[in-house]
Amino acid sequence: MDIDKLSVLAVSESGFIFDPVTGHSYTANATGLKILELVKAGKNEDEIKAAIMDEFDASEDEVTVDIQDFIENLKKYFLV
Amino acid sequence: MKLTVAVSGINTIDNPGPGAGICRALKESGLEVRTIGLAYDALEPGIYLDQIIDKSYIMPYPSGSKEAFIDRIRDIHEKENLDVIISALDAELPIYMDIEPVLAEMGINMLIPTKEMFRLRDKLRLKELSEKIGVKAPEYISCTSLSDLHKGTEKLGFPCMVKGPFYEAFKANSPGEAEGYFVKIAAAWGYPIIAQKFISGDEYDVIGCGDGKGNDMGVFAIRKMTITKLGKVWNAVSIRNDKLISAAKDVVKGLSWRGGFEFEVLVEDKTQDIYVLEINPRFPAWVYFPAGCGINLPERMVRMLTGQEYDTHSDYKSGKLMIRYVNELVKDISDFEKVSTYGESGEVKK
Repeated sequence: MDIDKLSVLAVSESGFIFDPVTGHSYTANATGLKILELVKAGKNEDEIKAAIMDEFDASEDEVTVDIQDFIENLKKYFLV
Repeated sequence: MKLTVAVSGINTIDNPGPGAGICRALKESGLEVRTIGLAYDALEPGIYLDQIIDKSYIMPYPSGSKEAFIDRIRDIHEKENLDVIISALDAELPIYMDIEPVLAEMGINMLIPTKEMFRLRDKLRLKELSEKIGVKAPEYISCTSLSDLHKGTEKLGFPCMVKGPFYEAFKANSPGEAEGYFVKIAAAWGYPIIAQKFISGDEYDVIGCGDGKGNDMGVFAIRKMTITKLGKVWNAVSIRNDKLISAAKDVVKGLSWRGGFEFEVLVEDKTQDIYVLEINPRFPAWVYFPAGCGINLPERMVRMLTGQEYDTHSDYKSGKLMIRYVNELVKDISDFEKVSTYGESGEVKK
């Protein structure tokens, strides 16, 4: 996964994300922000899953689906 | 040094001209400027924007006699002692290109494209322009009949874009839709109609100014967030896209562009490839936006034309938002009377 484009994103605590290269903006919830932070840090899916389960009260199945959905969205928006 | 700058395109209507934005940028610059509006109709709103346009004059139509056009400018020049004219309308650029040497003799300076640059930016010469500046152009076919359209869309496939010669563009998903848009656009704007290959992506604009020697005097890029039915930017956000900025600088360098311009492009989603859609040969209506972000191109142009030092940097922040809005003015009928009777606003000098 090419994560170069993620490094330029301006991410606010409120979940507002601005891409200064394309001018697009997005919103993410707390889980999404955490996943984004971990993807940007180059973590693999298992590491992301462990970190999310550690921080949020959710089952492994739920977390797996959330991560896959989030990464699919990143692909859909050509961010990775 | 107090300067007097005349500006056209002060029709701040639903398809706004750039004149009011240019005057506002000049008034907020470090220059001491008297701004003169050059209008073609007594109801152009800029005439009544006293806070940014000091005085306005009605001009003869540029499609008429060249002599009458020069005479009117000479008449205004005698009253106002013009230093610079900034032309901001495509339709009047050809006549200004013709009379620029005459104006220079009168001491009035302009920075406008040459006839060759003006010819190249024609929508129907996109391929030639694309080759010259080294930026891709979407495949297109110029159509003057339904038969041309059928042949064209057969080659391009669906969806495709159906575009007017001046304004309006529609995405057609089928031959029936393409025909419908063709008839609609032809009725409103005439021919030729352009059938263009559809490329999935976003539209971006870059404003800039070239000194005519291959150097840019600053550029500023935006993503259009909302556009009007005619395709005009209504809201926008500033962006820092190095590839796009570099392409705009290449345009200035490759064509030795002279004057203000708007470089309209499409960036393909998947590949991030840049496709040139059009070059407008003057400042666009959103010219105040970069000025508000520290890239005051009208100021730089005037400084250059009057032999002053000027900035050329393109240092601005991304994420600045332009919100265009509509407003109303309350004026007296006597203001309209002066313009419609004497052809000028305010105190009439005889």
